[in-house]
Amino acid sequence: MRRKRRHRRDQGSVEMNLAAMLDMAFQLLTFFILTFRPAPVEGQLSLNLPPPITVAKAEAQANENAGNEMAEVGLETLHLQVMANDRGGVKQVILEASPVVTGEMNEANIQRLDRELRRIFGVNMVAFDRIQIAVERRLR
Amino acid sequence: MAELNSDRVEPNLTPLLDMVFQLITFFMLVINFKGASMDLSLKLPVLGSARPLDRQGKLEPLLLNIDAEGGVHCFGRLEEIQPLIDKEARLLREQLRAAGEPAEKEFPVGVIIRADRAVPFHLLNHVIEVCQKAGYRQFSLSAMTRQETR
Repeated sequence: MRRKRRHRRDQGSVEMNLAAMLDMAFQLLTFFILTFRPAPVEGQLSLNLPPPITVAKAEAQANENAGNEMAEVGLETLHLQVMANDRGGVKQVILEASPVVTGEMNEANIQRLDRELRRIFGVNMVAFDRIQIAVERRLR
Repeated sequence: MAELNSDRVEPNLTPLLDMVFQLITFFMLVINFKGASMDLSLKLPVLGSARPLDRQGKLEPLLLNIDAEGGVHCFGRLEEIQPLIDKEARLLREQLRAAGEPAEKEFPVGVIIRADRAVPFHLLNHVIEVCQKAGYRQFSLSAMTRQETR
């Protein structure tokens, strides 16, 4: 009886050798540290771009639609041209043949363009169906 | 006997193991599997109005990296744009057909374009045009929301 009790106490003090598990855990830790690359803080500018169609076709479509609904509402296209300088930056933004912005697109120039566009779209009588943006080839 | 026992003194490794497991858990949770598809060497334009994309459980978008010379990189490899988009469109069509979705001309999947800020516009436009011809309609241009301080 006495011998049995002593035997049980010896079994209870058995300890697992953790060194092997620790080695493995360190290897896993090394792997995760080496492959750690935090995701960059990026945003997205969403665009819904239908396939390009030729200008003549678009105008024919628009005239057809206008004829069906209201005869006096036709198609108005807002022309926006972006000229580039030698370095590929913005030199000038031309809105309907009049330059709106001259120089790089800094905060002040963006606001000027925004004001100008708001002024144009703020007029209720003018219905622009589309905007045509012509961008110089070397613009970056 | 007492001397023998004192030779076999072992440190208690349990707290160390606990700490290592906690570190492993942390690194497992922050691991970024999408990082493999992104070319982190690109310098994206900075645009304050750029917002994170809300996909609303749609299919995984196609991610294209465009470097300053207009080269298209996909999962770290430089690819020709036309064969790449043709292949992706074919696979997507098969995937949609397998899922029982109606075969439409326009894809319900977008394209995320991570273009370097120095890429000329006409090269970026060419990539968009190729995607449009294949049937992609939704595009998103990646931009940094603020200037990197590195």
